[in-house]
Amino acid sequence: MTTDALKVWLCLGCGFSYDEAMGLPEHGIAAGTRWADIPEDWCCPDCGTPKSRFEMVEIGYAAGQPSLALAA
Amino acid sequence: MSQSFTLRANERGNEKILSTGPTASYVGGHPDAFVTRRSSFNFHDYQSGRPGFGKIRVFGDETFNHPGCSYSMHRHHNFIIAAFVLSGTLTHLNTLGDNDELKAGDFYAFSAGSGGLHEELNLHAEPMQAIYLWMLPNQLLAPPSFQMGHFDRVASMNRITPLLGDQAGAIPVPQDARVSRLVSDAPNTFVYRPRSPAHGVYAFVLEGEMRCDGTLLGTRDSRGVWAADEIVCQTGASETDVLFVETVLQ
Repeated sequence: MTTDALKVWLCLGCGFSYDEAMGLPEHGIAAGTRWADIPEDWCCPDCGTPKSRFEMVEIGYAAGQPSLALAA
Repeated sequence: MSQSFTLRANERGNEKILSTGPTASYVGGHPDAFVTRRSSFNFHDYQSGRPGFGKIRVFGDETFNHPGCSYSMHRHHNFIIAAFVLSGTLTHLNTLGDNDELKAGDFYAFSAGSGGLHEELNLHAEPMQAIYLWMLPNQLLAPPSFQMGHFDRVASMNRITPLLGDQAGAIPVPQDARVSRLVSDAPNTFVYRPRSPAHGVYAFVLEGEMRCDGTLLGTRDSRGVWAADEIVCQTGASETDVLFVETVLQ
């Protein structure tokens, strides 16, 4: 189990952002779920883009946005 | 020492996206409508074209063919999406703004941020041509925004005119990037000065001929230049129309 900082992944089809720290509980992905542990056949909940077409980004949140991710 | 690349018109990614078959929920207007897309930048391994340039991840030269041709209503987050209409009429439905009609010279910047939906639609038989540009934002899930502008080619003749960015008269975007347009009606020399050594410039010739940083470019050719204090551009004898996209690199 890696102790690297939790990351954010951006859908290249639409810009939906998956935050490892927050997960997607409403889609059955618990908070803290690493990208690598999400099934490879998973798709963007907003646009259906495959998991393989997401990119890890290091962009901070706007003020007031919830973020459980620790600053890098 | 300045660095550069040249991307010729026919070296761009090339896609035809149908309103039937697997893309039927993506492109509306079946059965005859289709979108053609020539990509300068796209997501490389994911779609055709170069991987990107600085914060610019998509630069597409698109045509919507046949009445009803559309990107069906869809949601975005985060990306800053701009469209510059070149010809025809783009009907743009957007949850952050009114339903708008954009014609040649009109453009919009939609910073999707914490979310918004839009639909792009050509209702007419005349093809709608537009340049689509996506850039990464400087913050995630920022308050979304939508603004429209118009490029007056007559009033802007022979002047590099800011359209998006932090200069006076431009629509602001939440990124260290700017888009300008130049229309020249005679041979002229223009110098584009990037904001800093950390900024690069991508020049795309919409129409005409221009010698950019020493390389002669024709219609739909383009050149990216960085690590340069200035980019010298010499326009040709006939009308030349150029988009300049400046972006921080890394």
